[in-house]
Amino acid sequence: MSLPKHEISTELFQPAQVRKENKEVIARPSISFWKDAWIRLRKNKAAVTGLIIIVFIALMAFIGPQMSKYGFNDQDLMRVNLPPKVQGLENISFLGLDGVDIRGMDQYKLKQQKDYFWFGTDALGRDQWTRIWEGTQVSLLIAFVAAILDLLIGITYGGISAFYGGKTDNYMQRFIEILIGIPNLVIIILLILILKPGITSIIIAMAISGWTGMARIVRAQILKLKGQEFVLASRTLGAGDKRLVSKHLIPNVLGPIIITTTFTIPTAIFFEAFLSFIGLGLRPPTASLGSLVNEGFRSLQIFPHLMLIPSIIISLLMISFNMLGDGLRDALDPKMRK
Amino acid sequence: MKKSKLTFLMALTLIFSLFLAACSGGKDEAKDPKPEGNDGTKTEKPAEPQVLNLTEVAELPSLDVSKAEDAASFQVLNNVMEGLYRLDKTDKPVPGVAESHEVSEDGKVYTFKIRKDAKWSNGDPVTAKDFVYSYHRTLNKDSAGSYQYIMGDIKNVNKIINPEDPMYGKVEELGVVAKDDHTLEITLENAVPYFVGLTSFATFYPQNQKFVESQGDKYALEANTLVYNGPFVLSEWKHEESWKMVKNDQYWDKDSVKLDEINVNVVKDVGTDLNLYNTNQNDLVGLSSEYVDQYKDNADFKTETEATMWYLKMNQKNPVFKNVNVRKAFSQAIDKESMVKVILNNGSVAANYLVPANFTNIDGEDFRAKYKDGFHAFDAAKAKSDWEAGLKELKKDKVEVEFLVGDTESSIKLATYIAAQLEKSLPGLKVTLNPQPFKNRLDLENKGQYDFELAGWGPDYQDSMTFLDMFVTDGGHNRMEYSNKKYDDLIKSAKTDLSDLKKRWENLQEAERILLEEDAAIAPLYQRGRALLVKPYVKDVFKHGFGADYSYKWAYIEGKQ
Amino acid sequence: MGKYVLKRIGYMLLTLFIIASVTFFLMKLLPGSPFNNEDRLSDTQKEILLDKYGLNEPVPVQYVKYMTALAQGDLGISFQFDGRPVSTLIGERIGASAFLGMQSLILGTVLGLILGTIAAIRHNSWVDYSATVASVLGLSIPSFVFASLLQYYVGVKLQWLPVAFWTTWEHTILPSIALSLVVIATTSRFMRTEILEVLGQDYIITARSKGLSNARVIVTHAIRNAMIPVITILGPLAVNLITGTLVIERIFSVPGLGQQFVSSIATNDYPVIMGTTLFYSTLFIGVILLVDILYGIIDPRIRISGGKE
Repeated sequence: MSLPKHEISTELFQPAQVRKENKEVIARPSISFWKDAWIRLRKNKAAVTGLIIIVFIALMAFIGPQMSKYGFNDQDLMRVNLPPKVQGLENISFLGLDGVDIRGMDQYKLKQQKDYFWFGTDALGRDQWTRIWEGTQVSLLIAFVAAILDLLIGITYGGISAFYGGKTDNYMQRFIEILIGIPNLVIIILLILILKPGITSIIIAMAISGWTGMARIVRAQILKLKGQEFVLASRTLGAGDKRLVSKHLIPNVLGPIIITTTFTIPTAIFFEAFLSFIGLGLRPPTASLGSLVNEGFRSLQIFPHLMLIPSIIISLLMISFNMLGDGLRDALDPKMRK
Repeated sequence: MKKSKLTFLMALTLIFSLFLAACSGGKDEAKDPKPEGNDGTKTEKPAEPQVLNLTEVAELPSLDVSKAEDAASFQVLNNVMEGLYRLDKTDKPVPGVAESHEVSEDGKVYTFKIRKDAKWSNGDPVTAKDFVYSYHRTLNKDSAGSYQYIMGDIKNVNKIINPEDPMYGKVEELGVVAKDDHTLEITLENAVPYFVGLTSFATFYPQNQKFVESQGDKYALEANTLVYNGPFVLSEWKHEESWKMVKNDQYWDKDSVKLDEINVNVVKDVGTDLNLYNTNQNDLVGLSSEYVDQYKDNADFKTETEATMWYLKMNQKNPVFKNVNVRKAFSQAIDKESMVKVILNNGSVAANYLVPANFTNIDGEDFRAKYKDGFHAFDAAKAKSDWEAGLKELKKDKVEVEFLVGDTESSIKLATYIAAQLEKSLPGLKVTLNPQPFKNRLDLENKGQYDFELAGWGPDYQDSMTFLDMFVTDGGHNRMEYSNKKYDDLIKSAKTDLSDLKKRWENLQEAERILLEEDAAIAPLYQRGRALLVKPYVKDVFKHGFGADYSYKWAYIEGKQ
Repeated sequence: MGKYVLKRIGYMLLTLFIIASVTFFLMKLLPGSPFNNEDRLSDTQKEILLDKYGLNEPVPVQYVKYMTALAQGDLGISFQFDGRPVSTLIGERIGASAFLGMQSLILGTVLGLILGTIAAIRHNSWVDYSATVASVLGLSIPSFVFASLLQYYVGVKLQWLPVAFWTTWEHTILPSIALSLVVIATTSRFMRTEILEVLGQDYIITARSKGLSNARVIVTHAIRNAMIPVITILGPLAVNLITGTLVIERIFSVPGLGQQFVSSIATNDYPVIMGTTLFYSTLFIGVILLVDILYGIIDPRIRISGGKE
């Protein structure tokens, strides 16, 4: 017995009418990627706490300086190196906010100061409260710029390099090697001569090679993902390069991207402090959290408040960024979508 | 493919472990016993060991007498070498290799008598020829030592080192002659009064020709490629790490030398230095101003005032500073007393003068005796009225200037204070800080690209001239377009006419008065001090005002146990 | 593979040549001369000295001379340390830096791997949170602060270990710990994310369903796959550690290369700047090549040598 043969010819097939936007249509009730991510982020307590702390510090950076009657460069040698003293908390001695220094002497009494300096004063008698919050403004800006540079230049560069591979990858990677090989310090010292110190020069210095770490990480991850099945599948389905990179590869690299960013931020904050120190960064008397830590470090054993308070703010910021970052990663990770 | 990968990995592991092995091998070698360990001091015999432990901030760049040019090297050379004379406790020159000297009537020819028992550490006698050889080697056109200029008072030196001069490179024309092995005759250009003190400076030390030539390229690069004639010899030199000086048995005055051993470790961080001091691994530590508050009640705390001056240089290329009233206003606008007490806090003294106190004297009278308090002391009201007068002449009511400073933490702190003081006393003034690394700052200063600058100067020799000749018209250290004929003339006559030293003295005092009182060319700030901790058992380490910082020849340890 | 490596080494020479050239010309733009007591020298004196060292010739001429000497393996003589060849200078200092770098790298990687893996397995538990907080603190506290605290408490207060210097193995412990902090933080953070990611993948589920124990799954599958970002970051970091880190060397008085490099730039010691830059770049590029090769070994799906199909 034989069944009648049916010729399989091309006429029997016709292209499915799939509109571009329906290509990956999801059967369950439509909920956008971002909306879903937001829902999941909100459920993550650590991430929410992180977000709240960041917002609070950012707000204080602008409100804080208004709360003190002293400007950030109001010097008075009669009130140098006062420890912190806060109304109401001054009677709880273990908090260390009673104006008594490490040797047990009430410096406010000794120096006949009636004012309360919530964060104490520095070696020139300047109010640390104002200086720290103004410094926080600068450091937040630096952190923001560093993150943007990483995200814009680093991801694009690394993505293109790995995705196209071959010659492109080869040349792009050799270029990174050259950038890192030329001593940074030489370039920075030359910049100091040409540029006026300020935010612009800090950004230029960071833009030169601050993003290379991110570029290399993204490249490594995309190299790894490029050969995997889902990429092949997507390509078979007719996805173009752009779509492949933005819809499939980048979302899968988010974890390392977020971590690298959280590394970049403290590095940038201290890089700025280093630049200020050699004259390229902010011009004194302007301060940043990084430069306040640098300045206060030497007197850690005798005036600990000078270093501890800005350090605590940096650490708080960093921990919050990381908690938020981890939350974001979980929220944005396509694999964890339920 | 798989196999090749495996071998590759194995090769990697092998390289890695070899590398580690090589490193740890290197470590073992370095393990040889060190005299000063953590507890080394406790286990030693009660008979007071004469060991001094010190630290230095940097590796020694060069111990070649003809090339040495930095404080750390001068410090070592001063203790392992010896010139004709050496400085004592009060910076007075005392006989070194020379047992005595005679000066001709016109004060230009010095005849030094070299002692017969002066020996090199290899047993060779130190002779007058060693000095001649050393000076020739230093001034030779191939040697290019940067301290050649300090010999400028000797006859023909400035011609020998000037390429434009027909005498360029002809060292045989030098005014230094060995009459015989034990007689050295030095002829000067002018009868300068400070020459004997100058012979204690490292560039004036002798060198052993036979030894130098036998070492070739290696000369002075290691402890054993150098020969010594001072109280100590360098017995060990681990680059970037440490060096050790031990008593020199061949030294003519070895009976006065009490220390057996001086260990110097390279420590760049003050915090580390203090931690070493507190664990008894270091006997002397200099404190930066940040640490003074912490240690000023410590029993070991000391301050000493140095002969280094700090001042503001105001660049007259800028029309604002061309105005003398503005300069006077700047000189009087800063509360220097509070500055030295609260910010520097290290023995620095507020100064309204350029030539430091207790630096030079004539017949027991200090240079400062005539104008004891200097000129233009702090006076906010007067500063303000001078400032307003200046602004009126400039037809301005607002002035913005840039303040060039070094990039160290302490100078930035000081500059921040000075800027705030100036802005407070002088309404309408805006000061912007411009911190720069050392070489950049020097470059900007040399090109005259600055408004005013925080600058300092330490003496090269014991005469007020080392400070005062800086600001002559077009002088190498002027760089602020200051020019005053009267001042120039006074300096010139003090340099060339040394027949009446008392008159010269008064001329120099007058030159300082013109510079500061009439012209307010610079605004003096303070005479630098240094805060330090010294262990109480360290005795008789002498501090010098110029040249090398310390002498250990007479030092000893007492009461350590 | 062999051909690929050869080609990469060819590129390496080219890259090094470009780095050397750019650095040479940039360095010549630095203000001032290489002489130590420049502020005391008169202008004529400076001219004479510049003439003597051939620094008055046009920069391109100096460049050709330097490159010719370099091709013959001659790195020149230091200005700052008069008479000392640059190669000797680097040789004397690299030992300490390399030992310290290696030791802290191994310590940091091992601890970081363990910490990161534990945090990933105990995802969102207190272990995870405290590991995160600890590693974030490790990054946000500058290394000079951590190193000084370590020195003060362990060296001065407790007197368990030497305060500074570089003589016995005990002397290397504190600087290694201080230096490994950043390695621990980096490694553990990347390990945690990557392992979390890997654990969710199909082949792990397959491996588990085959009956492999949890530990075995982690060791044979997860860690290996998580290594990609870790070695990407650790490669260059290793070079930085080995060639010396300014801050740690300074605080613990380690006679290393990091200090040397910075001071050579501050003093315009041209031959030392060039020598150290070349040394550093060679190591760096070599390590990047190694990392690229390791990618393929760790994850056979990665092919770098070929281009896009």
